[in-house]
This record gives sequence, structure tokens and C-alpha cells, in this order.
Amino acid sequence: MNDPTPDSTRPVLQTSGTYSPDVMQGIHTKAETGIYEIRGYGTLRQRRWATFDDLTFLPCGLTRIPLEGYREKCSTKTVLGGRFAKRPLELEIPIMITGMSWGALSYNAKAALAKAAAKVGTSNTTGDGGLSPAEREFAKDYVYEVLPSRYGIDVHDLRGASAIELTIGQGAKPGTGGLLLGSKVSETIAHQRDLPVGVDQRSPARHPDMLGPDDMVIKIEELREATDGQVPIFVKLGASRTYDDVKLAAKCGADVVVVDGMEGGTGASPAILQEHTGIPTLAAVCEARAALEDCGLYGEVQLIIAGGIRDGVDAAKAMALGADAVYIGTAALISLNCNKPLYVEDYRALGTEPYHCHHCHTGRCPVGITTQDPELMKRLDIEEGAERALNLLRAMTLEIQMLARACGKSDVHHLEPEDMAALTMEASIICGVPLAGTRKVFGR
Amino acid sequence: MVEIAAVAIDAGTLSTREVNAFIRSRLQGGAAEICVENPNARHNLAVALLQPGRVRFMGSVGYYCGGLMDGAEILVEGSAGWGLAESMMQGNVVVHGGAGNGAAAAIRGGTVVIHGDAAARLGVSMKGGLVLVGGDCGYMAGFMGQKGTMVVCGNTGAAFADSMYATTCYVGGTIGNLGTDAVVEPLAPEEAEMLDRLLAEHLPPALRAHKPAGREFKKVVAGRKLWNFDKHNWKTWQDAL
Amino acid sequence: MCGILGYFRKDAGTDSQLGATMLSMLQALGRRGPDSAGVALVGSGHRASYIVRVQAGDELEMSAQAIEANREAIRGFARALNGSSDLSSSGVYVRFVLTGEVDLPALTQAVEGIGEGIEVLSIGHAMELSKEVGTPHQLEGKHHISAFAGTHGIGHTRLCTESIVDLSHSQPFWGRGAADVAIVHNGHITNYHQLRRKYEQRGVRFMTENDSEVLAVYLAESLNRGETLRQGLDGVLRGMDGAFCCLAVTATEMGFVKDPYAFKPLVVAETDDFVAVATEEIAIRSALPGDYKVSEAQVEEVRVWSR
Repeated sequence: MNDPTPDSTRPVLQTSGTYSPDVMQGIHTKAETGIYEIRGYGTLRQRRWATFDDLTFLPCGLTRIPLEGYREKCSTKTVLGGRFAKRPLELEIPIMITGMSWGALSYNAKAALAKAAAKVGTSNTTGDGGLSPAEREFAKDYVYEVLPSRYGIDVHDLRGASAIELTIGQGAKPGTGGLLLGSKVSETIAHQRDLPVGVDQRSPARHPDMLGPDDMVIKIEELREATDGQVPIFVKLGASRTYDDVKLAAKCGADVVVVDGMEGGTGASPAILQEHTGIPTLAAVCEARAALEDCGLYGEVQLIIAGGIRDGVDAAKAMALGADAVYIGTAALISLNCNKPLYVEDYRALGTEPYHCHHCHTGRCPVGITTQDPELMKRLDIEEGAERALNLLRAMTLEIQMLARACGKSDVHHLEPEDMAALTMEASIICGVPLAGTRKVFGR
Repeated sequence: MVEIAAVAIDAGTLSTREVNAFIRSRLQGGAAEICVENPNARHNLAVALLQPGRVRFMGSVGYYCGGLMDGAEILVEGSAGWGLAESMMQGNVVVHGGAGNGAAAAIRGGTVVIHGDAAARLGVSMKGGLVLVGGDCGYMAGFMGQKGTMVVCGNTGAAFADSMYATTCYVGGTIGNLGTDAVVEPLAPEEAEMLDRLLAEHLPPALRAHKPAGREFKKVVAGRKLWNFDKHNWKTWQDAL
Repeated sequence: MCGILGYFRKDAGTDSQLGATMLSMLQALGRRGPDSAGVALVGSGHRASYIVRVQAGDELEMSAQAIEANREAIRGFARALNGSSDLSSSGVYVRFVLTGEVDLPALTQAVEGIGEGIEVLSIGHAMELSKEVGTPHQLEGKHHISAFAGTHGIGHTRLCTESIVDLSHSQPFWGRGAADVAIVHNGHITNYHQLRRKYEQRGVRFMTENDSEVLAVYLAESLNRGETLRQGLDGVLRGMDGAFCCLAVTATEMGFVKDPYAFKPLVVAETDDFVAVATEEIAIRSALPGDYKVSEAQVEEVRVWSR
């Protein structure tokens, strides 16, 4: 890469594409610390693989009739878990808040999200650390996550849930456990998690009492027993060998399978895991859907897709490809002012700037979201935060409806792959939709 | 309240759901003890018992017996499968035979007593309470133990007490080998007395007689080198991660 | 998109002019859809026997020799069947009557297994389905619709949109696996692929890429489950998305369902003698003289007439 504005007093700077500045910085840091980089946020490198951006919708023309964008009914009601549960989870919209731990997030952040979800008629998910006091107070429907660490596990909280999510892995770092650095293991968090204050908490990668799909069949039954068969059991997978994993999860008795793609977020994790493990969310939804179809359970087992869902367009595309609902995490936090240019000097103190910050792991979040410091947390007002998150959920829902109506659907769940065309060969091959301009599906 | 005497049920022909429903309803009704015959090592028996009362299994149980329990008592005359009493909040579980992998996994309180041997990952991620094994235990017992007490009267397998937080372990026999960041510390006199009391309280006299005295136990805790990332402990971290 | 029509005689006995009337209606609608035309006509029929109509091959896709070979093979198969009679063939079509207990799916599979490109068009006690690429005039030329005497029927003229112009994509669609059920559809089912995949997951076979087919599949299952035509059409209203005006016949009934958006026209004329339903009033007026009112069907309306 060349410096674009050379003049006679300076040489033209050439930057290596192999040893780029951030790579050099990474090596410098390892030379000082002897350990790999840990940070928050998720995949940061530029997306050169097929993503939802490589698809476009085909609204009605002469061959089909669109619905009026602002007037005609377009249902967003979503029902999850009817396979075995006596009480499937009924939501007003197909967007849910994903599991983000109280610990990674502040009490105020958890409270704001719980309130927003309750108001719009969707669910919150607990995260690694158990049910937080914020959710206990403000959430209407919560999905109770059972993770390898079992921090905060409490049968009473489990029985109060609207759904149980048995987490095998997470999109940002499949195959590994969670991480919460010492500055965030405050007295309260330590007490919740039964840990010494200030430890750099590492969660195990494996569940303590099950080690494979053959055990998981029994574990799912245990969770059903514990909840009188009332609520759906989700199995959450970090997208890796997605086709095989989804088939297994469905066959093992999951009511709903959650697939969390590579672009998913995290509060703290080794950077290399976030960048170089797992498959992208677009690829993952296509593999997941194919897996369910191939075992004849598509439609019977619902699919929730997560991992870098940024807006209603991503959600609509995921749904057209086969998702029954999507989880948002990072987008929800951004709605709470993550990376907003407020308290700019505090971003700089962290060595970053607004719109570029991924320093959740430090616990010094300038806007009070991913911190346990009470002073910083005050910067996130619960009511304001709840309203902002609620606005995002509503706006995303309107976006999905707009696209669905343009495609002639009176229900957002009627979106199909055939409503889209691919903008690149790769997307055509991965998704099985025609490449725009050719009317051909490539590579199948 | 009138205490209802022991009730019995033959699990042989019933589904697990039916057995558990029976147990729960009788406990709710105030039964002091429920005898379950022919459990046949079935899985998920006595899951999520939230009422006080005792359940006695006249045989072996499968996976997750007593899992997600809060406040009841369970006695297993035979052996138990994986995940015995997993995530228990409070309560008391006694197994006369042995237990499979992950016995007392993630317990937050209560007591788990195994007269026989425990398999791998005994007390993994335990967050409180007491687990006491009369016999030996297997590989990686105490892994990532956070709080609570583990007592193994016999020998341990490899990687004992690996990567622990603040669980305290006591071993009466030989330690197979110590896991990452596991260290042996001197046993205080009060701890020796405590161990004698625990063994007397939880093991039948005939069994207790063959076990070491309290003062013969070794104490194993975390060396705390893994509690915070530190580049000077590279060797420790290399083994741990 | 398309023109659809239905004609239902209320009087007892068969109407010798049924076919002629429907041909007139089709011709009037023909300018809406020049790509293909078809009818499902219900005659007097016999409860104890089935009329089987088979297409030996598609002239647009296969050679004349291949079709000829298929036709002869079908004739041979029909002759050899126990209880078969009235064997006739014309062009690419073979028709025969089968008396006795018939397992419809098994018979369909057996006939279609005789050769590549063979398709069973309809099986029914009284219903006979004919469709042809081209105009109503060409339909008449090959099938002599005007000679058909019967009690009621539906018809369709097609303007091809998203699927291809060939015979098997034309309408009406027989509700495969059920006797005497056929549909015609004007509009576009926007959740067709989703619904089709659910059916295919259960082993149901689709013959075309035409979204109208899913209506026939749905009604066949509904009626085979013991539901009435009215219940079936109510189900269509609940389960399908998009634009649909759908007309259906059974051995004794004709009915229609209109979508929630009034996207497609359907006018209804009813007298003491008949009911006529069509995409355009001109189709009714040009075929049926008289002083009667014609009105537009309402959104989400389901109506069924029985004999």
C-alpha cells in the first residue's frame, strides 16, 4: 500500500500487506507479555468471505404482487420450541437478545436490555454467570443458559425460565470456554459465581457432566424432567462443523438449535480464536438448514441464527435462508451507546477512539456497558438505555417487515431463499440462490 | 404435621417421568421416606427434587440422579452413573456403591457421600458443599473446583485438583499425580480433627474402620499461579492452556 | 397470470351443453392467457368405477416416436388390468375406465412407471381433466370439450409468468392421490417453496415447478383426511400467502376461495339454474344469456355449492 500524498520532502511510504502495522504491534506485544492477545468484540479483520451483504432481495415486479409497505398486515409473531415443549416460547418479533453474562456486562446494561425486551415482547438470555438480579427484576421472558462453567447455576432460576439453552459453544470462540478478567470479577460478580475476587476467571471448554451427543440426549431429558417438560430446550452451537453438529443436536432431542457464527461477539477472548475459528454466519445458516432438511426435521426443529446480525436486513436474509429467529448481541450493545463519541478522553486513555473500541475486556468501558466499576456504570442510564434498545428492536422489525412486504409476504416467516439473488459466485454456491444476471445457481 | 411413614413404588414398569412425578407428589404430601424398587440404573431419577424428604433407591441409578436438587435426601443402595447430584443447591446424597464421571459436578452446597470409588472428574467445577469418597477417585478429580471441600479416603488418579480456584481437597491414600497448579500444604490439627468428625459422621463404622485417620490425610489446594495471567509463569500456563 | 372459470348446474341430471358452455367461457377469457388452456369437467360418473386419464408424453419435450411407444405401452397396461374397459386414445392422451377397488397412489405410480414422461392427469369417478398448450380452440381440437355432458366443471387459460410453458405446467391441477379433485388458480403463492419443502419432507411428490400445484396437493390431503371442500378451502385461506383466487371441484361440489388482499378478480353469477364464476364478466355473459346479476367476490370469501 502506498502513502497517497507524497511530496518532495517525504519518501513514499510502503506498508507491508503481510507484516501490516497491526501485525507488527501484535508481535511487539507478545514480546513484552509472553502471552497471546486477549480482547473483546469478535472478528475485527475485514470481511473478505461471503456474508449477508452478498445477497439481495428480489421484490415483486410483474410476476408477483407486493404488499403495501406501511399498511398491509405483515405478521412478526414467532413461536419457538413446539417440538416437545408443552409451552413453546411465543414472541412478538423474531429478534431476541443473546446471552451476554452479567460480569461481562454491567447491571445497568443487563437491566436496560431486559426492560427493552420485555416491552417489545421478546426474550433475554442470561449468559455465563446465571440469572442476574437485573433480569430477575425486569425480564419478562428469559432464556436460561446452561454452560460448561455452570457459574451461578440455580435450579429455581432454571425453572423460572421460558426456555433453557444448553450451550455447547459460542460463535466468537467455539471449542473453548469463557473468560472474565480480574478487573471485572468484583465482589458482587465473585459472589454470584462462587469465585475469589479479582481472579482472571477462565471457564471450562467442556460441560462437567456430559461429553458428547450420546450424553447430551440424557442431559436434555434431565432438563426436561427438571422443568416438567414445560419449556423448550435450545442447544447452542458455535458454528464449526455446523452441518454435523446441527443434525446431532436435532436428533438428540433439541426443540430449537441455535447456531452462532464466526462474526459473533464476546466480552473477552483470545484474539486468534475470534479471528480464526468457526465458520461465517452466512455459511453457518446454510449448513444448518441443509442439516435439518436432510434429517427431515426442518420446520419441526426451529433455528435461531446469531453472529454479527447488524440490522433488519441481516435478520431478513437469515430468515429467508432458514432461520426462525435471530439473536442480537453486539448490535444491542451498540444501541446502548457502545462506541458512541461520549467521554472521548476515556476512549483515548484506553488507547482507542469511538467507533474503533473493542476494549470490553478491560472493564473500563467509557459508556458503562462492559464494566463492573460503579462510577463508569452510572454513565449508562437504565431507562434511557432501555428506550434506545427498544427503538433498535422496533426499527429492525420494521426493516424486516418492509422487505417481506416488498416480496409479497404477509408474514415475515414466509421469506424463502427464492426471494433472493446472489451478488457473487461464492454466495450463489453457498446459499443455492441464482447469481443475479445469470438466473443460474452455481456450484451445486 | 402428621408424618406419613415410608411409601414404596416399583419403578420396574413405570416411565422415569412417572417415577419422578410419584416421588415429587409424595414429598409434597409430607412423606418421610420413599422407597423406589427396581430403579434398574435408569437415568434422570429424582431430578429437581425441591422438597425435604428422603428417597431410597433399592438398586443402582443412571445419569444425573439427584441433579438440580434443593433440600432433599437421596440414598442409593447400588451405584450411580454420571453427574450424580450435579448442580445441587442443598441436600444430602449417599451412594453405597461407586459413582461414574462428574459425581458432584458443579454442586453449590449440600453433601455427596460415595462409599465406593468415584470415576473421573469427581467434583468438577464444584462451587460449595462437601463431597466425600470412601474409596478411590479417578482422573482430574477436583478440576476447576471453586469452593467447598473434597475428601478422598483412598487414592486419586492423575491430574488431581487441576486448575483449581478455592476448593480444599484432602486425600487419605496416594495422589496419582498433582494437576496443574495443585500444591500439597501441611495439614493443620484442626483439619485433622475435622476429617475425623466428617468420616465418623458420613461413613458407617464398619467402613470407617478401614480408612486412614484424619491426621494421615494430605491437603491439596491451588497454588494460585493460574489465578491471574502472568508472563513469568509461562511454564505453568503452557501446561494449563 | 391467468383466467379462471367455473360452471355449476343446479338442476338434476346432466347438462348436454356443459362442455360447450365452458368452451365459450374459455374462449372469452382466452386473450388473458394465450399459453395454455384446460378444463376439469365432472360428468355423470359411476361410484363403482374410475375414469383414468393419462398423458403419454409432452410434444414439446419428446419425440413423436417416444410418445407413440409410451401410448402403446399404456394401452397394453390398461388392457391387462383387471376390471378395465372403455379404452380410448387421442393424440398424446389415453383414457380408460377401471371398475372395482383402486388404490389411487399405487395405480398412479404404476402407470407413471411404464415409461419416461408419462403423467396421470386425473383419476376420478366422474371428473376428467384435459389441458393443452395453446388456445382454447386448440384444446377443443384435441379434446372435443364441446361434446362433454356433465354437471359442473372448472377451466383455466394461462399466461406464463415464472415457470415454463409446457403441458405439465398448465392447469387445472389434479389433487393427486384423491379422486375427483381439481383446482385452477389465478395469482401467485408467495410461500410456495416453503410449503413445498414441508410436503416433500413427508414424501409428497411434486410434478412441476408451478406454485399453483401446492393448492392441489393441499386439497387432496385435506379431502383424503375426511374434511369437506369448505374446510379445505378455509385451510387454504389460513395457510397460503400471496395472491390467490382458487376454484376447486369435487364429484359433487364446486367452490372458491379468495385471498385477503383482493389482488385477483372473481365475479359470481347465480340463478336458480346455475352458478357461473369467472375472472371476467365477459366470460359469463358471452356464454350464458339471461337477465342475472354479476357481483365481485369479497376478500377472504369461501363459497361452496353442492349437488
